[in-house]
Amino acid sequence: MSVIIVDCGIGNLWSVRSALRYLGYDVIVSSDPKEIAQADVLILPGVGSFRKAMEALRTSHIDEAIVEAVKGRGRKILGICLGMQLLANFGAEDGETAGLGLIPANVERFAVEAMGRLKVPHIGFNQVRSESRSFLFKGISSSAYFYFVHSFRLLADGLPGHAGLCDYGETFLAAYENENIFASQFHPEKSQTNGLKLLKNFLEY
Amino acid sequence: MLKKRILFTLLYDDGQFMLSRNFRLQKVGDLTWLQKNYNFAHISFFIDELVVLDVSRGERNLSAFCKTLEALTHGCFIPIAAGGGLRSVDQARRLLRSGADKVVVNTPVFSNTELLKNLSQEFGQQCVVGSLDLKRSLGGDYQILVDSGTRALNSVASEELQRLSCDEIGEWYVNSVERDGTGQGYDLALLDQLPATWSVPIILAGGAGNASHLVAGLSDERVDAVATAHLFNFVGDGLKQARLSLLSSGVELANWPDVDKLLSNSVSNQTIDVC
Repeated sequence: MSVIIVDCGIGNLWSVRSALRYLGYDVIVSSDPKEIAQADVLILPGVGSFRKAMEALRTSHIDEAIVEAVKGRGRKILGICLGMQLLANFGAEDGETAGLGLIPANVERFAVEAMGRLKVPHIGFNQVRSESRSFLFKGISSSAYFYFVHSFRLLADGLPGHAGLCDYGETFLAAYENENIFASQFHPEKSQTNGLKLLKNFLEY
Repeated sequence: MLKKRILFTLLYDDGQFMLSRNFRLQKVGDLTWLQKNYNFAHISFFIDELVVLDVSRGERNLSAFCKTLEALTHGCFIPIAAGGGLRSVDQARRLLRSGADKVVVNTPVFSNTELLKNLSQEFGQQCVVGSLDLKRSLGGDYQILVDSGTRALNSVASEELQRLSCDEIGEWYVNSVERDGTGQGYDLALLDQLPATWSVPIILAGGAGNASHLVAGLSDERVDAVATAHLFNFVGDGLKQARLSLLSSGVELANWPDVDKLLSNSVSNQTIDVC
């Protein structure tokens, strides 16, 4: 099974790779569209701005390679943090930008005005309410803590598949799974044992 | 609900880890010392985040620092912030590629807003931690120190901070130069210097000597996280004991299952050798 961490030039690939290795998986970090299109499993991590990341994916044709692997060949993908957001239709960060269109939702900034004294970015460990049918959360408490660091988020309204929800001023989409498309707004690779377990679940799916 | 955090800060100077007292540095040991005395892979399961700062007073060797960062963060499944002498987006990228999730900037907050803008555009605002070193002057006002604490800005801290445009900063790491390394407890008056309009998380640093200091810091509602950089006050499993004592006294910290319980089946033959 070839597990590829997509390298689009930004983001902390090191820690995702280190977590997967800890779980006993060999992983390849790649920015080669051919290799990515042929992968069995894709992980799209990300730290950075939506616009910059999409520009990088487009320039290198990695965007097409990801869609080919996921839509064309039915391979599974896990988007993490910005990687989750990139899977969406549209991002509002730093000017409006089209995403990969694998999750039918848009990415917008937290509605700060309505949040009272809550701080944005949302940084730290917060609780995720997960559905019992979820694969990602198998064997994990239905209200476990995961590490978040973000100012933008997806909303769960009307989405297909299973979700993990988090409450921070509003209820937003903390995790998503629909057929072969998986995503988490939190960082499983930064969420201690809960995160390691979630990564293991994804790889074993 | 969002939990509060405990951060551990490591001060690095030319291959050595340092103890700082009022910003005067004292060598403690190298990476081997750290691993021997801290069993870091284990301890990292009891802190929420790690901060690693290159406080080298001489010329900094970024490659060597990045290597150390890689070794340190291997087997640590928590957020890592790194910084010290950061002056370009490329330097930040190298830190982020060596295991860091966030970068820490200090002097550029006041002298290079262009860099802050570029960092935030490139990596997102959440990736940029602004570091403030505050010192009480003889008159009682606080001053901001920059350049590793060697130079004071010519203004009152609270006024200077009011003037800052800080859309590029995702978190503030607020340190007391006077309490630094003393173990006397945090200086909560630092928080009064920060504009009430700031709406990003605040990390309080400087002075923690024991678990009750961590509690006192976290009990202030303006504080989202506390940090300690004292290599001796929490040596051995001191951080683990502190966390357990905080949890049992009702402080809102996250918890997670023990690593042995959750992963024992699949990784029984694995150990985290270096961290």
